[in-house]
Amino acid sequence: MTAPLDGIRVLEIGDRGEACGLILAAAGADVVRVEMPGFGSAGRRQGPFIADQPGQERSLHHAYFNVNKRGITLDPSTGDGLNVWRRLLERADVVIDSTGPGVLDEINAGHESFANLVEDGKLVWCCITPFGLTGPWKDWEVNDLVQIALGGPMMSTGYDDHEIAPIRPDGEHSLWMGAEFAAMGILAALYEREGSNLGQIIDVSIHESVSCTVEGAFPNWEYAKRLVQRQTGRHSSPARTAPWQFVAGDGGYINLMGGGIPRTRGNWSDLMEWLDEFNAAADLREPQYEAAVHSDPMVATTERARIAEVIGAFVQSRPAEEIYRRGQSLHLPWAVIRRPEQNLDDPHWNSRGFFGEIEIPGFDRKVKVPIAPWQMSESPNELRRRAPMLGEHNFEVFNGELGLDAQQLVALAGSGAI
Amino acid sequence: MAETANNGPRPLEGVRVVDFSWIVAGPQCTRIMADLGADVIRVENESYLDSMRNGMQVFPDRPSLNGSGMFNNMSRNKRGVTANIWHPGGREMVERLIKTADAVLENFSAGAFERMGFGFDHLRELNPNLIYISISGFGHAGVDTTYITWGPTAQAVSGSTAMSGYPEPMPPAGWGYSYLDHTAGYYGAIALLEGLYHRKRTGQGQYIDVAQCETGMMMGGVAMLDYQVNGREYQRQGNHMRWPATAPHSVYRCQGEDRWIAIACETDEQWDALCEVLNADDLATDPLFATNMSRVQVQDKLDAAIEVYTRQWDTRELMYVLQAQGVPAGTAQNSEDKMEHDAQLKSRNFYATADHPYLGPRRFEGLPLHLSRTDWQLQHGAPEFGGDTEQIMTEILGYTADEVTQLKSEIAV
Repeated sequence: MTAPLDGIRVLEIGDRGEACGLILAAAGADVVRVEMPGFGSAGRRQGPFIADQPGQERSLHHAYFNVNKRGITLDPSTGDGLNVWRRLLERADVVIDSTGPGVLDEINAGHESFANLVEDGKLVWCCITPFGLTGPWKDWEVNDLVQIALGGPMMSTGYDDHEIAPIRPDGEHSLWMGAEFAAMGILAALYEREGSNLGQIIDVSIHESVSCTVEGAFPNWEYAKRLVQRQTGRHSSPARTAPWQFVAGDGGYINLMGGGIPRTRGNWSDLMEWLDEFNAAADLREPQYEAAVHSDPMVATTERARIAEVIGAFVQSRPAEEIYRRGQSLHLPWAVIRRPEQNLDDPHWNSRGFFGEIEIPGFDRKVKVPIAPWQMSESPNELRRRAPMLGEHNFEVFNGELGLDAQQLVALAGSGAI
Repeated sequence: MAETANNGPRPLEGVRVVDFSWIVAGPQCTRIMADLGADVIRVENESYLDSMRNGMQVFPDRPSLNGSGMFNNMSRNKRGVTANIWHPGGREMVERLIKTADAVLENFSAGAFERMGFGFDHLRELNPNLIYISISGFGHAGVDTTYITWGPTAQAVSGSTAMSGYPEPMPPAGWGYSYLDHTAGYYGAIALLEGLYHRKRTGQGQYIDVAQCETGMMMGGVAMLDYQVNGREYQRQGNHMRWPATAPHSVYRCQGEDRWIAIACETDEQWDALCEVLNADDLATDPLFATNMSRVQVQDKLDAAIEVYTRQWDTRELMYVLQAQGVPAGTAQNSEDKMEHDAQLKSRNFYATADHPYLGPRRFEGLPLHLSRTDWQLQHGAPEFGGDTEQIMTEILGYTADEVTQLKSEIAV
């Protein structure tokens, strides 16, 4: 068993490409995170922190997003830093560069400055930027909130009450979306490189990555000039639909896809039996309700509203996990709404080996982190190393791989280059 | 036809993917593969019809399996055959197609493809170096593999729903669409590309089992660590930012019906610029709002005070004025904003046009990446139902025209 990217060397520089490096490192690439000397990446100053105490080695954001990577410090704009950067590039297969359009080239360290390595050589240089390398907005200031607003997910997400602002889902999803497309671009370029022996530049726009991740909002406008309206805990839609989300008997939340209405008569009779156990079927045994099972879930009808009402009342009397497990045992696509940490001990994910254990310097126990959202028959899901401490692999890389001696390293450190 | 500038080779030229996918997650994955140049051939049949072909009919007065805008968008650049796998002749055609493939993809419920006679062992008999990739809610391995998921189900279980919206007692806002169907498609594409690369280097095919819920759980990793290390249960923050805590960081009402702007100040300079643009002397001089630390303490009050001003502005105008002053700000754009008024997307031709035999020329969402030497291309819309059956059978699989006619008459293909 070998990993798909065994032997592939990736240099990751900038703060918007962490998730891309994480994905490639999980596939076996040797991802070397390049951080600013003495200062480190922005993620090190982003909480949560161990015991809520900020510190260079205390960020749980850093601990998660840099699993499986090595870490060095290097400032290509200082002293002999540019020369060291060049030597690293010459040994690399891939650069993940999220420093911004033209930022590295201002100090002669970007893909234009090293065009020989990309155009005549085998280097794949992937730029992940908020808007892409071109266009009138390319230098705009943004963060995840602004990108989720501009890209469209926000206007589809929120509450029935439109006095309440539309919502940015938490989790830096714009960076994930950009990272996912960057990983695809890099893998496609590596695949192509096997035949051509040539590298290339990849221009990934986070704005476009978010903009194409909106589902029905796009065809509704392109084909019908309709806008979708946000709704509480369910799909946005041009017209109001019945609720899917309910509060369970224990105060937890439940998602009953399609208002809890089964899609087949078989599911319906199973559900009626379950409701009868608790004398909760009310008037749903009347025939018009069974007939409603096959109606379009996106069209609100009085029957569907009544079914949702009765089922809503029932689930409010039972615990959320019970509704989930029992509903699924009847082949209903019902779900408990869990917080992320509530999956840590779920037998299913653990039986798949989804989690691995890592150390976090400064914390006394190992912790579980996700490895990869799949199983591959020829490649193991394994964690190879925890996130690097700042400059942890400087000696290993600069001395062991580039051959710089102690005197040169001292000079580089003295100038602030490493 | 296609408006993408590049007409050269695409990175996945020569790769063939036989595509049994439906709904969104699988088709999203193979859409990306097709954009990148793979020959993606959809295998369809009325008995497991992709419901997307019936959804969102562009001409409601004359519904057609070729009349769905949603399907056109999700399956552009692909080809399509129909085959009845319960007819020996139809099954043989599918098996001959699989023998020519680099990869087979499906996103049925776990176990369904095997019950259709296409377990991994049989696929490997047909084609020893094949990559078989499945995308399902809970994956094919594990104890809950029979569980049924749609996008919202996976979002609920994985934690994605709970991470969206205002704190209790407000319920989660969730996602206003099947976000994890798309994410599962994205990770499917990543996994398949990894599998192809692995095969290119080793000659070895494999079985890749993607679990949609796990794609959502990947994005909750920091919350999982916070719980394990600090004992903190995840708590929603509305539109505020907890890490790093900066303020203002919210979404504000503007002029017009349901128009909003997102504003996020990360420095005091940006805050000063915001106050100046809004001409809000009362905010600029209020000691409560003097530093980021103080602003974070009174965020609800701060948001209300800012909104008094933003209500007087057109959202796009305010966005441009704030961006000119270096303040992170953006309109909460709907599809009309993005497709008709977004200067950035327009300048990069993000919504390019391609033709479809039934729907005519239509715009498509671009692939958000460009490769400098071997870029992706938008070539054509989605395949008509069975539209490429004859061509693929004769040109790739070696059937004669008479054999095709015979199999068609038997409703085998």
